[in-house]
Amino acid sequence: MGYTTNQLHVIYGDGALGVSGADFHYLFSYERGGLESLQIHGKEWLYRTPKPTFWRATTDNDRGNHFSEKSAQWLAANQFSPCTQVAVSIDGQLLPELPIAPLNNRYTNNETAAEVALTFTFSTNTVPSTPVTITYTVTGTGKIHVQVHFTGNAALPDLPALGLRLIMPTTATGFDYTGLAGETYPDRQAGAAHGTYHIDGLPVTPYLVPQDCGMHMATQQVTVTRDQTQNNADQARMPFALTFEQATHPFAFSCLPYTAEELENATHMEELPLPRRTVLTIYGAVRGVGGIDSWGADVDAQYHIPASQAIDFDFNISPKH
Amino acid sequence: MQADLEWLDDPEVFRVNQLPAHSDHAFYQTNAEITQTSSYVQSLNGIWQFSFAKTPAERPLNFYDPNFDASAFESITVPGHIELAGYGQIQYINTLYPWEGQVFRRPPYTLNADQLVSGLFSDAIDNTVGSYLKTFELTPAFQGKRTIIQFQGVEEALYVWLNGHFVGYAEDSFTPSEFDLTPFITTGKNTLAVRVYKRSTAAFIEDQDMFRFSGIFRDVNLLALPAVHIADLDLRPTVTTDWHTGNLAVTTKLSCAATTTTATLQLTVTDPAGTVIAQQTQPRANTVTFDPITVTDVQLWGPATPNLYQVTLTVLTANQHIMEVVPYQFGFRKVELRADKVIYVNNQRLIINGVNRHEWNAKTGRVLSIADMQADIQTMLANHINADRTCHYPDQLPWYTLCDQAGIYLMAENNLESHGSWQKLGAIEPSYNVPGDNPHWLAAVVDRARTNYELFKNHPAVIFWSLGNESYAGSDIAAMNRFYKTHDTSRLVHYEGVVHTPDLKDQISDVESRMYESPKNIAAYLDNDPQKPFIDCEYMHDMGNSLGGMQAYNDLIDRYPMYQGGFIWDFIDQALLVHDPISGHDVLRYGGDFDDRHSDYEFSGDGLLFADRTPKPAMQEVNYYYGLHN
Repeated sequence: MGYTTNQLHVIYGDGALGVSGADFHYLFSYERGGLESLQIHGKEWLYRTPKPTFWRATTDNDRGNHFSEKSAQWLAANQFSPCTQVAVSIDGQLLPELPIAPLNNRYTNNETAAEVALTFTFSTNTVPSTPVTITYTVTGTGKIHVQVHFTGNAALPDLPALGLRLIMPTTATGFDYTGLAGETYPDRQAGAAHGTYHIDGLPVTPYLVPQDCGMHMATQQVTVTRDQTQNNADQARMPFALTFEQATHPFAFSCLPYTAEELENATHMEELPLPRRTVLTIYGAVRGVGGIDSWGADVDAQYHIPASQAIDFDFNISPKH
Repeated sequence: MQADLEWLDDPEVFRVNQLPAHSDHAFYQTNAEITQTSSYVQSLNGIWQFSFAKTPAERPLNFYDPNFDASAFESITVPGHIELAGYGQIQYINTLYPWEGQVFRRPPYTLNADQLVSGLFSDAIDNTVGSYLKTFELTPAFQGKRTIIQFQGVEEALYVWLNGHFVGYAEDSFTPSEFDLTPFITTGKNTLAVRVYKRSTAAFIEDQDMFRFSGIFRDVNLLALPAVHIADLDLRPTVTTDWHTGNLAVTTKLSCAATTTTATLQLTVTDPAGTVIAQQTQPRANTVTFDPITVTDVQLWGPATPNLYQVTLTVLTANQHIMEVVPYQFGFRKVELRADKVIYVNNQRLIINGVNRHEWNAKTGRVLSIADMQADIQTMLANHINADRTCHYPDQLPWYTLCDQAGIYLMAENNLESHGSWQKLGAIEPSYNVPGDNPHWLAAVVDRARTNYELFKNHPAVIFWSLGNESYAGSDIAAMNRFYKTHDTSRLVHYEGVVHTPDLKDQISDVESRMYESPKNIAAYLDNDPQKPFIDCEYMHDMGNSLGGMQAYNDLIDRYPMYQGGFIWDFIDQALLVHDPISGHDVLRYGGDFDDRHSDYEFSGDGLLFADRTPKPAMQEVNYYYGLHN
């Protein structure tokens, strides 16, 4: 079939929903709770399904004011929050149930749609729990609009961060972004010039004790470039790239070879594992780093992330043609 | 005189046969040498013979005897730290004394004990000893001249012998110690013996937050003194309130081999362009005071315009032969604390865009090269950093000159920090505080104040004397303040610790200085009839990923004239580059990584630069905010 009509090809599987076009093929897994495959021009961009992230590795200031101890629930939530619900909409129509057998037995391999949307609901592993939804809306060109909604609960402690973590199968050769220069945080961005910047590789800022690093505030877009895959049938070392763009508001991101948990566990740089993946986290909220002292002074109140209120952020993933 | 090991236990013995402290001027045999190395200086840096002992009891006893068999000695590089040469254990600790939980120890003459404690350090299990031997022959330029040995820095207690004769003893690790070798020196081979103890009573007042090292860690030089020598130079440049006229008073103290030696002393003053603007000649005397010199259209010294004038003093024989040439660059600038309780420099409100700077190199510890210092100056200039607090000891001599030349203000700190004696688990507990009001500890700290003053009194960069850091406050520190007030009207005195003893505030410190104070509390101070201008002597603790929230401090500058800025803690991470056998890489290690306990672990990783001198990402924020008021 042809794709000139900007219609998406929709494959109603029993464990996953496939959505494809001329140069992309996405798999939304009901079993794995999210976007399991993001294949563009034959290259896979995901190692595991994206997960909401609630943790950024403890900084020295966090340690000094016991923030991480007070907010420790979010570390568990970061690691162990299950996907409890999946909803599918086709052309704006919410399906009453997941379209798996026997419901999907009526389909062929020729279904199309102008827009496919899936919402994955995560239940935070906190006491009490609060839902977080991730909605992927795919339209005809393959663009995915990703929306994250954090419901919040006043009984929960402040968050270190709220974001969506995408782990890519291999390390990036670098990334380019439009936003603020250097490593910035909400309370440390006045000195950063706005512009478009290229970063070679996946630098980890070598703080004496590894901690959160590499944050880039107020970003319009980031393009990650890789040159290798894990696909045994694809040994080419040609660069390929994927762009994440601002939807309604700029976002913050970090692009590192490590998860927050890996950074959290190392006491020296050399204890970090060998870099083998790319961890791109797009943040809707980031806690400040503070700086009055490192033994008790809190981050200024306006740079906290209270869990009492809803947080929403969104961005677009766009396969380039 | 014989050396006495028990000097280690006595806070009242801290300099034996040491020459008086004096200005840090260089001196040369000819004018041509000025841009090179003085032929009156013979470096003893290099490989020395060395023996390490874990305790004083195990030291090689008569090693200073010229007949001593030193074949069992090993070798060590001077300058260097004994610990980084692989002998003593590396330890990083902040507040508590380094013997915490290892040895119970209280300072002598405290806790109502009006006596010394025998063996406190002289018979200790934790007092490592380095025995150094160096043989040398004098270079030709030294023949027949008085010969001085200058140790620019030795931690922490130093005994010196030459050719078997005891020469002298010194404490105060971060200032030069000079001894006269003339009575003992020979024209042939000389054997210098130096014993360095890691601990003495000085340890109680040298409890700086840093890696704890010992050894000869700064340059060692022999100095040849001509028959008539400029022992001290005192330059007093002042500026009239029309800001166009400078006045210079020059006084020198001469030392002579014989009172009968005739000589004249010629003074030349040149402006920043090198044009001669004054010349005078005076006959030799113990103290030579030149006629006051007026400088019209004076070019002031400051961060934006580090204009330096130069005096050149030439000592001439009766036959007009040059015996010695002393060049010294100085600047005209006026520091005032006015009736509005605001500090002005050259008629402009002072705004300190400062950093605290430990001397540090990840490979060599506190052994710094000139290139390291020059790199630090460039980093400061590139980021609008206009001031350095030398924390918490006097730095290597060249640093002060580099700051003069670059236009970096200095808060010149004394070698004093005693927080282990009064700060316990974050609480104030001064029951055995030193120096406090203790008469037995008074002379040692006033001597440190005097040495700091005499060394650096001619540097325009120094606008504050700082009495030291985190040493609580009492009458001894008030006496240090009095010393500066009676000797120097051209600078202000800073001390933070008086914040704990408000009754002494009219006797100590010209400024209200606090560390890590919140912007809210600073505003509260400034809104409530403040008596002194406010300075953050330490703020924005840049440990790890930090330095968020500078805006709030910047806003204070715009709101309150009496808020005069501060010094970020601190300039460079203190960590050591170590080979990691597991990864095969050279990696940075911190406290506790050497099995050292008690330790404060990574707490010294609080610089704007990583330990390898690359800037942390936060530097762009410093550059921005400091650039707003530069």
